[in-house]
Amino acid sequence: MNKLDEPTVAEQNVNFRQIGKPRTRTDAPGKVFGKTPYAGDYVMPDMLHARVLRAKVPSARMTRLDVSKARALPGVASVLTFRDLKIGTVATDIPGQTGFKRRATDQQILVDELVRYQGEPIAIVAAETVEIAQHALSLIEVDLEPVPGVYNVFDAQKPDSPKVFGTDNLVASYKVRKGDVEVGFAAADVIVENTFTTQYIEHAFLEPEVGLGWEDEQGVINIRSSTQAVETFRYIADAMGLPHSKVRIRGALVGGGFGGKCDVTVELYIALLTKATGRPVRLGFTREDSFYGHGKRHPFIITHKTGFTRDGKITASKIDITSESGPYAFMSPYVLMYATEAGPGPYLVDHVHIDSRSIATNNMYTSAFRGFGATQACIAYEQQMDEAAKVLGIDRIELRRRNLLKTGDAIATGFKVQSAVWTEECMDRAMAALGEKPKDKGPIKYGHGLAAYQQGYGRMIWLHDTAEGWVGVEMDGTVLVRSGMTDIGAGQTSSLAQIAGELLGIDMMDITVYNSDSSTTPLAGTSSASRGLYMSGNAVRLAAEAVRDRLAARAAQHFGSTADDVDFANAQVFLKSDPRKTMPFKELVATCASEGIHRAELAIFRAPFGDWIDPETGQGQVHPDYTYGAHAVQVAVDTETGEVTILKSIGAHDIGQAVNMAAVEGQIEGGVAQGHGYALSEELIYKDGCLVTPSLSEYLCPTSMDSPRIESIVLESRSGLGPFGAKGIGEPGHTPAAPAVANAVADAIGTRVFDFPLTPEKIARAVRTARKAG
Amino acid sequence: MIAKAKTANDVAPLGGGTNLVVEMRASGVGPATLVSVGQLAGLRGITIADGTVTIGAATTVSDILRDPRMKQVAAVLVESADVFAGQMIRNTATVAGNICCGSPAADLVPPLLALGASVTLRSGSGERTVPLDGYFTGYKTSVRKPDELLTAISWPVPTAKSASRFYKLGRRRGDAITMVGVSVFVSLKDGVCDTVRIALGAVGPCVMRSKKAEAVMQGKAPSADLIAKAAQAATAESTPIDDIRASGEYRKEQVQVLVQRLLTQSLESLS
Repeated sequence: MNKLDEPTVAEQNVNFRQIGKPRTRTDAPGKVFGKTPYAGDYVMPDMLHARVLRAKVPSARMTRLDVSKARALPGVASVLTFRDLKIGTVATDIPGQTGFKRRATDQQILVDELVRYQGEPIAIVAAETVEIAQHALSLIEVDLEPVPGVYNVFDAQKPDSPKVFGTDNLVASYKVRKGDVEVGFAAADVIVENTFTTQYIEHAFLEPEVGLGWEDEQGVINIRSSTQAVETFRYIADAMGLPHSKVRIRGALVGGGFGGKCDVTVELYIALLTKATGRPVRLGFTREDSFYGHGKRHPFIITHKTGFTRDGKITASKIDITSESGPYAFMSPYVLMYATEAGPGPYLVDHVHIDSRSIATNNMYTSAFRGFGATQACIAYEQQMDEAAKVLGIDRIELRRRNLLKTGDAIATGFKVQSAVWTEECMDRAMAALGEKPKDKGPIKYGHGLAAYQQGYGRMIWLHDTAEGWVGVEMDGTVLVRSGMTDIGAGQTSSLAQIAGELLGIDMMDITVYNSDSSTTPLAGTSSASRGLYMSGNAVRLAAEAVRDRLAARAAQHFGSTADDVDFANAQVFLKSDPRKTMPFKELVATCASEGIHRAELAIFRAPFGDWIDPETGQGQVHPDYTYGAHAVQVAVDTETGEVTILKSIGAHDIGQAVNMAAVEGQIEGGVAQGHGYALSEELIYKDGCLVTPSLSEYLCPTSMDSPRIESIVLESRSGLGPFGAKGIGEPGHTPAAPAVANAVADAIGTRVFDFPLTPEKIARAVRTARKAG
Repeated sequence: MIAKAKTANDVAPLGGGTNLVVEMRASGVGPATLVSVGQLAGLRGITIADGTVTIGAATTVSDILRDPRMKQVAAVLVESADVFAGQMIRNTATVAGNICCGSPAADLVPPLLALGASVTLRSGSGERTVPLDGYFTGYKTSVRKPDELLTAISWPVPTAKSASRFYKLGRRRGDAITMVGVSVFVSLKDGVCDTVRIALGAVGPCVMRSKKAEAVMQGKAPSADLIAKAAQAATAESTPIDDIRASGEYRKEQVQVLVQRLLTQSLESLS
């Protein structure tokens, strides 16, 4: 992990003993010493192994399915097809995490008639070994008769196109009408219009989807899986006709999620096969399964038409947004909502007009991916700002500065931001850290680029999001935390330990956290939407504060003081007014135990609740709050070959309050590396619905040899809604990285590639075209 | 077992397995028997004697990078080894394996062609040495018979008045499959180009020498104009395909760019 040259730690941190410090995470030792079991490491006696048979074509009618030979193969315990399912469908809406009524977006579990995407599951097999299960797949006889499909969003919107979803392939659509855009354009001196496109990309987590299921003595189906959401137990139970109380998801530490493990993945297949066989079943996706088996990031086509006065003030913003959902809804309606809300970026625009839609095709379905649509929006609005600056002849940073939103200003949906908006300081800090641009050397041209952003954290407020957390103190003074939150590698559980430790005066490394069990840990919702720390951190804070209050009251009695004079640190209890008056924490706890004082608390944290935005105007509140910041990049471009080398990459973010500074830097660095790949090399290419890049040698994530030193500049306004004023950073660190790279490349070559990813070939072609044009 | 092989489907020698095993897993088919030769100590090692460099077939890519003598006798091969796949692959992939896989994008082949390397093939009935130039007969085909084992690669130690370069154009820096790989070797004698070898990777069915480009240079005094003409000849001789990494059109353009650039750099280093 890169260390900052001059870390920016808020002065407020001096008030904290653990919060805000760059601490070793509680999950680090287990991982470093190889002791941490991941979901795939679990085995059970008498365990079966499962495999999934997938459709090889993207659009077809199944005219025959015969599994008799597979069933007859020695060693095969079960082969399930749609005929064996009590209920054929499973929900794909935000899986079972809120009380909000789910949308009618169910997906067939196994193909019953129509194949709608390449890789759609047709049958599942459980056998004594993986090899037998794999062999059984080859014995299943399937006849798939091709059906005309639709493979791009333009064709899908034509009246005579094949219909994949509903009667018109329209999965969702929104409107935003703020002010009067015609008035705004009338006031403009210059109008800039451009279209930007983004590609399908893959989460490419290190750990493919995996799980192990078994039925216990109470008839509960237990599933140990690699997931971002233990709440999927509800949808699994619904899909099997079981009471919710009879399905239990137990997470494990997760080897990366990035949104790709929010939906139900292996769990339902495991549950069905466990129920069918009465034996434990393990299903581990291969890398190929993972490519074919979970939803991808949405490709977007975004057109900006922006009016400016001659001195660079935005007068109007008209935005047209189309995303590709694939054949099933999954998170597409919500991802589109994020992109719509984020449309004009972190700028104050009085006249906004946005039309957005998500369109079904027979390409792979799309779902959650770090940033959730706000990322694609940023790629468009930040490239548009640079293009506008060029037209206006105004410095790119200065143009942004003249339009930045400030606290109290209304964003596109009319909501007035209440927390600090430190975009300007983040821009200035990031640009300053870039330093001077090197002098060009022959065909090698250098470029600087910046992108600012606005990213919501927490769920959309009409989902009525809550998280529960439990904190308790054992009789010997040790502290336990229970939270249903999954730990996807970003230090989620460690942060909970740190929060409870701060409040109870116990070092975080001495706190035990139980998490990610849908039956025995209080449910906290997914680790997604940059909501983990915000929601679960607050729940644990509330629980720890309640316990602390009761302990403090008893300590005050002991000291003959008042509760608010009692403080907790280093496993000691003492008076703030007279620190010589002290007692060991464990002694206080023992006293409380003997007197029956409750040493535990189950707390619930509720995010702000609200209604949907107005369907006609798009006005209202979408998110509880927003994170702001900026990312700056320096690149060298070989203008002959088109190769890009990222030399410097610097993220500056106001994250409100760091809980673990080292974990924050880790989040930013990881998000930035992912953004580099998004901009330059990563692309899932579908040819008529068939994936032509189904391996990590064709799907190109950046390697360590492609990654520059990434710097993080962390500012702390302490104005967020999370614990101690924290804002979300899981997604925001990623959001501006890709457009900053794009802007740096455009700066270097003097022209722009409008279609992601910026491959050497596209860059070389753009340079040549620009030269020819003079 | 190799000596008894009748066809390539019967038995194949296995080096580091970084290509063959991956291919077998992806395609589901492969030779009936694999004979692992990657761990045979007698096949691994680098010797420099009598003006000839000889490396054993099981020598790994990392072995090339770790031997300090290689910078003197095969700087261009070191350049290539340095950008070959990624660290883990380099530690186990063998030089012979890279040749035998027959990929047109094999990164060690252009520099070995530029160095004028030969390969030694041994079978039950004896041993023969064939030039690497001409070794490949088409896409993943070669003059090696199924019962022959490639045991060594050798080339003459370059003369003082020579220079060589390699460039790998990939979609990313690490673990990339080459879009275009170019290697050049030039030696000067009395102010004119004496030996010129220009090898092109990933722009034809196999890695190839551009003899027409070489002929442009041979016996002439180097100049920018001459280099540009040689690069044009190399471009004309290349027959790249479109694939997911790049279009044939782009590859052709890059042959021009890279041949020109590498020849210029090589000649500048000699002046």
